[in-house]
Amino acid sequence: MVKTNKASLLEIGVIGEVTHASVEVPYTTGWDGKPTVSMGRGGIVYNVKPGDPCFGWAWGDKVEPGVSLDGVGSDNSKGSFRNFSCVGNTAKVVNGEAKGGAGFVVGKVGYIPGGGHHVVAHFDNETLEKLAIGDKVQVRSLGVGLNFSDHPGVRAVGLSPQLMEGMGLDESKGKLVVPVTKVVPAEYVGQGSGGAPSEASNWDLMTQSPDAVEYLKDLRLGDLVLLKDILSAWGRGYYEGGSTVGVVSCGASDRLGQGIGVTVIMTCREGELLPKLDADANISSYLAMGGD
Amino acid sequence: MLRTNRDKLLIMAVQGEIVSPSSSTYRAQWDGQPKLALGMGGIKYNLKVGDPCFGWASGDHVEPGVTIRGTEKPNPSDCALAILACIGNEAVVVSGEGKGAKGVFTGRHAGADDIVYFSQGDLEKLAIGDKVQVKAVGAGMELLDYPDIRVNKCSPRLLDSLGVEEKGGKLVVPVVKEVPGFLMGSGIGFSSNTEPVDYDIQTTDPKAVKKYGLESLRLGDIVSLKDQLCVNGRGYYKGAMTIGVVIHGASDYAGHGPGVNPILSTMEGRLDAKIVKKANIADFWGLK
Repeated sequence: MVKTNKASLLEIGVIGEVTHASVEVPYTTGWDGKPTVSMGRGGIVYNVKPGDPCFGWAWGDKVEPGVSLDGVGSDNSKGSFRNFSCVGNTAKVVNGEAKGGAGFVVGKVGYIPGGGHHVVAHFDNETLEKLAIGDKVQVRSLGVGLNFSDHPGVRAVGLSPQLMEGMGLDESKGKLVVPVTKVVPAEYVGQGSGGAPSEASNWDLMTQSPDAVEYLKDLRLGDLVLLKDILSAWGRGYYEGGSTVGVVSCGASDRLGQGIGVTVIMTCREGELLPKLDADANISSYLAMGGD
Repeated sequence: MLRTNRDKLLIMAVQGEIVSPSSSTYRAQWDGQPKLALGMGGIKYNLKVGDPCFGWASGDHVEPGVTIRGTEKPNPSDCALAILACIGNEAVVVSGEGKGAKGVFTGRHAGADDIVYFSQGDLEKLAIGDKVQVKAVGAGMELLDYPDIRVNKCSPRLLDSLGVEEKGGKLVVPVVKEVPGFLMGSGIGFSSNTEPVDYDIQTTDPKAVKKYGLESLRLGDIVSLKDQLCVNGRGYYKGAMTIGVVIHGASDYAGHGPGVNPILSTMEGRLDAKIVKKANIADFWGLK
């Protein structure tokens, strides 16, 4: 059993609402200059869930599985929703026809200042059918401030105890062993660099260069991955010897420097996190999501 | 002689205003320490192109000379100045005590800032709020024998100053440093527009700064970025090459560092870099 300060964590209600499907510009420009109508960001995506592929959706660009939420009201209250919601936290619909429907936070996506931010949540199909854009969803935030008592060099970043306890963490020779589906080299890690705080939004794995696409093609939404030489402690950046563990939270992109979203859950400077390759390391196996 | 379409380039006036220095509350550095950063925005009397990127007291993203912004749209990055002004274009003060003073456009910093050089004598006459007009020329420039190479934010004057050679079907550009692609950070992906955005050589990791010799970088240096493509946005592409100009200084924020405006980029291997001791726009144009 990995020792943590779980008993000291504050559990806080934060509220968001179901966003509209996002159309940033009428046509987006791909890396090769080709225009497209990008879709799959924001709103309710009925037929994509954690466990589904990152690539291959028609005109899909950074496809977010399930329901995309954002905070409401002042910048402060939006900030609390974006920064305090942790992957694995429970989410409950609090108004509308789907009232009472329960789900999970499965990722956080966003980067460009002022360009929007989504907390991505999974709900079962029955709840999805009743949900409407604008419905309010309350998340029971639990996880900010989590630390590992025996691993002071590891910083948990928006990691919920629910996910932490389900993901099969282990310890070996003083290191924390994390099951992941893939170890990703820093050269494929793009947008998200320079962003802060690490608790909100995501890294992108760039999906334009053929070698990167080949390496990343099997990734599924919800996969756990380790980004090599990437530090996400107080903002996101390159750091030789560091690592970042994250959850794949949105699909591939044709836009240069952008791609598969990875929401940070843990990071370290000096190799305190050790990856263990496991093809089943996906949050759909770790969280009791129920239904389909 | 490099063949271009320069006789077809439109020459247009674009305008901005000298802005106040940026200031904010403390922000966390990469290691969690707080920092009150300075050097963005405003008039910097003692910082010019040619000066070091590193070492300024509490400096972060320092912008040499004078920082101006377009004002005709709410977001300066959407203004004509941000998109059309090219490095090497002539700037002229059109209001205030410094009216008539001539300077040089030296780069665009993604967040909001356009950067202009003026001589020390002219700097003394400038005031925050003065209007500066730039004679924008360079957007749309093509290299007729290298159609795969995307030219960006590069004036004909800069292209002529680079000292490029044509060798074995390749364009060889003298640079002071080749930066590995994985060091490129903030600004990557950011937008599909290449023109108004720079991106940063990350200085988060002190080991990497040392290992790749980044401490010697100067504002205005010409550098090459390996495996980086800047044609419609900025990102990794194996085998691609980008040449750029260093437009602002180093940073202690995670993922940030000296900013680069891409000026030439291709995915097809027809661009090459030659490491030289000096390749800097301040030296090209005698900016002191």
